[in-house]
Amino acid sequence: MSADFTPNPKKWLTLGIAGLAVSVIGFFVEPQIAAWSYLIGLIFITSIAIGMLFLVMIHHIFDAQWSVIVRRQAEHYMAALPYMGILFIPLFLLTYLGGNEGILWLWMDQGASLHGHGTVGTDVLYQKKTWWLTEWFFWTRAVLCFSIWIYFGSKFRKNSFSQDEDGSPKHTFSSRKHAAIGLIAVALSWTAAAFDWIMGLEYHWFSTMFGVWMFASAMRAALAVMLLTIAFLVAKGPLKGILNTKHLHDVATLAFAFTVFWAYITFSQYFLIWNANIPEETFWFNDREQGIWWPISMILIFGYFLFPFLYMLQFPLKTNFKSMTFMAIWLLSMNLLDVFFNVLPSLKDHHGEPFQMFSSVTNIIWYLSAVVGAGGILLWAYWSSYQKTKIIPIRDPRIQECLNHNH
Amino acid sequence: MAKQHGLIAKFDTPADIMHAAEKVRDAGFKNWDVITPFPIHGMDPAMGIKRSLVGRFTICGGTIGITTGMLMIWFTGGSDLSVPLMEGYKLIVGGKPYFSPQFAFPVSYELTILFSAFASIGGMFILNKLPQHYHPLLKYKDVAASSDDKFFLYIENEDPQFDEEKTRAFLGELGAVEIGELEE
Repeated sequence: MSADFTPNPKKWLTLGIAGLAVSVIGFFVEPQIAAWSYLIGLIFITSIAIGMLFLVMIHHIFDAQWSVIVRRQAEHYMAALPYMGILFIPLFLLTYLGGNEGILWLWMDQGASLHGHGTVGTDVLYQKKTWWLTEWFFWTRAVLCFSIWIYFGSKFRKNSFSQDEDGSPKHTFSSRKHAAIGLIAVALSWTAAAFDWIMGLEYHWFSTMFGVWMFASAMRAALAVMLLTIAFLVAKGPLKGILNTKHLHDVATLAFAFTVFWAYITFSQYFLIWNANIPEETFWFNDREQGIWWPISMILIFGYFLFPFLYMLQFPLKTNFKSMTFMAIWLLSMNLLDVFFNVLPSLKDHHGEPFQMFSSVTNIIWYLSAVVGAGGILLWAYWSSYQKTKIIPIRDPRIQECLNHNH
Repeated sequence: MAKQHGLIAKFDTPADIMHAAEKVRDAGFKNWDVITPFPIHGMDPAMGIKRSLVGRFTICGGTIGITTGMLMIWFTGGSDLSVPLMEGYKLIVGGKPYFSPQFAFPVSYELTILFSAFASIGGMFILNKLPQHYHPLLKYKDVAASSDDKFFLYIENEDPQFDEEKTRAFLGELGAVEIGELEE
């Protein structure tokens, strides 16, 4: 192992705080755009941590061998979940202290006028959904979701790190049982988060696929970050000679699999709505064909599906750290664009027209500040956790099989 | 005695056969193979076998599949094209356009998978020179042990480097516990 590589978590904390500070300035300069950008950044970064949580649970439920040393990196990223919970609080404050309760989720302002037909309170589609879209219930769900994620995240971390100390297999069994329950609990809570935080922005819309879409999105984001992490750790030395191209191939294959899965889900959602042609559903895609959103939707089809699909279809590219580093950066950028595509057009102007992403250059500051802010916190949590523990789970019952992984 | 097909060597452990395979590979033999009761990880590189070419067949099959699906749906519902025995007939279904990649996609995608699978199986048969209903190895007296606890390596007469005496001595040097002959 290399001793000359020492991470510096404080650097990332500084970057995170700087980004968040810019976002807070944005809340005063351009409240609505900054608030939506902040929501996008938070969802994007949280989805990385949630994807890592899914990866760890999938590892435990299958009693996997190959991913033991990869799992340790995912465990570090899960350390960010409590901070993501804290970063959610500003959304609550923005809603109730900003003077406009509908700043993010329009339905929270019953008196908000809708273009062409009355107010939210008199809207039949809202009235039919009040049992779910009630403010106390919404915030309770958010707290509940974060509690579930933080509980499972810290449980898997604790089990794994305790095993480094005492080497007892009971931690593995505990993790396996928790994974069985956790997969269901996190799947449901992440679906609820998708419904609340993104679909709730446009409460008129219906889509049963959306929770699964959010799962696919989180997995793709997490796998891209995982590819970057292992490529970095191998290049810098700590995992050199431990993590080989066979491990890389497996992570890359998962990234490839979720590329296909994401395309399947995204297309199915579009296709069912396109085929049924019901106005309450189609408007969501019509909005996303206006102005800049049309080229962006094309970029997503070809850049987030077709290109990565054809690229990762090739064995030599999947087993090379450099080529997968490029693909991981590409996937992560496309993932962020996809989150923008799903969130931002739900913001409407007074004429009911969707907000255009590049209508003003200064908006780009708020787009980036939130991602950099939450991303800095994520990396700070990762490197802080990284420093405190062993680089690989040295006493995991499957560690030897993982190190000898050769197929 | 029938015509000789090759020489076969028996080994006791996976490690022995692996090292033997590496040496046969390095000696430059072409027509040879290894028979083991179970897959041995790392045997492919030890034998100098390159990655399978089946994927090439698969991508061709997939490409033909998606093209077939799109063309078929465009031809049957979106064209007036007339070809022998068949005629396109423009048809509106569910108020949708005559042709749109959206509704053609599920079928094209299924055909992509189907044709990929066919091409993969076909490619596997071609590359493995299948079907082959008989192999000289099956006549060997000890062949049953190759599915139990023994490991075999054989070199065919057809190999350019094959020489009855030298090859037999070479196999002996590899640590074979027994060397036999394969009959045609």
